[in-house]
Amino acid sequence: MTRNIPSLIILFCIVLLVQVFGLSYIRVFNVTPDAVTIFIALAGVTLSQRASTTFGFAAGIVLGIFSENTGMVMGWIMLSRTVEGFIAGFFNIPENSHATTKQKNRRIYNAIIISGLLSGFIVSAVYNPLGFSPLIRIVVLGLLKTLLTVILAFLANIVILKKSLLD
Amino acid sequence: MEVDKLRKYFSFFIKHNTFLLFLLYCGISALFIRLQGQDTLNTLRSGCIEISSFLSDKATGVSEFFRMSEENGRLMKINATLVSRVISLESAVTESRNREKVLADTTIDASRYIMAKVVGRKFSDRENMLLIDAGRNRGIRPNMTVLSPEGLVGRVTYVSAHYSKVMPLIHHEFKVIVTSGVTNTMGILSWSGGREDIAQLEHIPISSPVKLNEQISTSDFSTFSVSGIPVGRIISLRPDKLFYTVEVKLGVDFSRLTHVLVTPLKIEPEKIQLLQSTGETAVEEIK
Repeated sequence: MTRNIPSLIILFCIVLLVQVFGLSYIRVFNVTPDAVTIFIALAGVTLSQRASTTFGFAAGIVLGIFSENTGMVMGWIMLSRTVEGFIAGFFNIPENSHATTKQKNRRIYNAIIISGLLSGFIVSAVYNPLGFSPLIRIVVLGLLKTLLTVILAFLANIVILKKSLLD
Repeated sequence: MEVDKLRKYFSFFIKHNTFLLFLLYCGISALFIRLQGQDTLNTLRSGCIEISSFLSDKATGVSEFFRMSEENGRLMKINATLVSRVISLESAVTESRNREKVLADTTIDASRYIMAKVVGRKFSDRENMLLIDAGRNRGIRPNMTVLSPEGLVGRVTYVSAHYSKVMPLIHHEFKVIVTSGVTNTMGILSWSGGREDIAQLEHIPISSPVKLNEQISTSDFSTFSVSGIPVGRIISLRPDKLFYTVEVKLGVDFSRLTHVLVTPLKIEPEKIQLLQSTGETAVEEIK
């Protein structure tokens, strides 16, 4: 993955726009696949924990602004995304590592699953638009969101990321 | 000592900078959580909704741009449907209006007549023909008189099951005995071509008291037409050697004829037979 900061920021903005104006229309029980989680996990694995935490925080602000209930959940979205970035950072592979693409892939998927689940749990715990019981909204919907995100990551890996990870 | 303390702080910050950054971000997030639902965030919320709506609008605009071609096709289809409906409704309204116009004429008792619509016409300077949408099935028979509230139109010459052919007054073979309204002068009305609103009145002797602007209507002497149907008025009266050359302005405007009435057949076979057997020339052609 490229280390060019302006390119990363542009890519980050594109991912946010895709998430807000594209993927947010794909809903299963009010749950959408999360391209931002994939980006943050990727940043955590290939860049650094500090970078992924910062991207997570910035993503939280933007997604909070564009959320349907800005005033009520913005802070929680910011917190969950910051946690997400911070957790993803633990899966970081140092630059001088000789990890194979397969190992990198595995790390990315792990980062997506763990950070995505934690982030999902935080938001699901405080935000309940469909009036589900806590068990359903925290566990079932959290797992559903992670599953959708992993599927999206798998597709993205086939289409885009394979080449980037080889860099 | 002071320098050592500062160095300790710096090394702590450098060592744990990511964690401290994380705490800072969490702190800011916690601040926002604390402010949730308060007036401070309400302003931000309305601003966010504005921005979100604006961007959504733009995003929708872009997708609409790409769907414009499809949308145009859809609108064209709708337009075509609406235009056909409008044409159909306008046609129905016009027809209804024309029917009402014929029925509203108080000088004619329309209940005795068969109403028909003119569905075809052929006009030339010599031979004209009308086609109406009533035929044998509706009781139309040859030689029935066709009229409109404005006056005599012609007579039925050929009948099929659903349509009838009408020889109009402006046909060079058409002749009808008419009488003038004031002086009761009789003559034979015919049309010799040319203008479709002018016909000629024949066999009016010089001695006749006929006058200009006299109304002309059908006579009881007619073998096919009932008497009293208005035909037109005299507009030109020129004396010749023995007879007048009389021009009659016809009451019916054939160019605007849409609906007509067909009168019941006047059955006078005995009269016709008598006229023919005594060698008299039947001035009105019986088909």
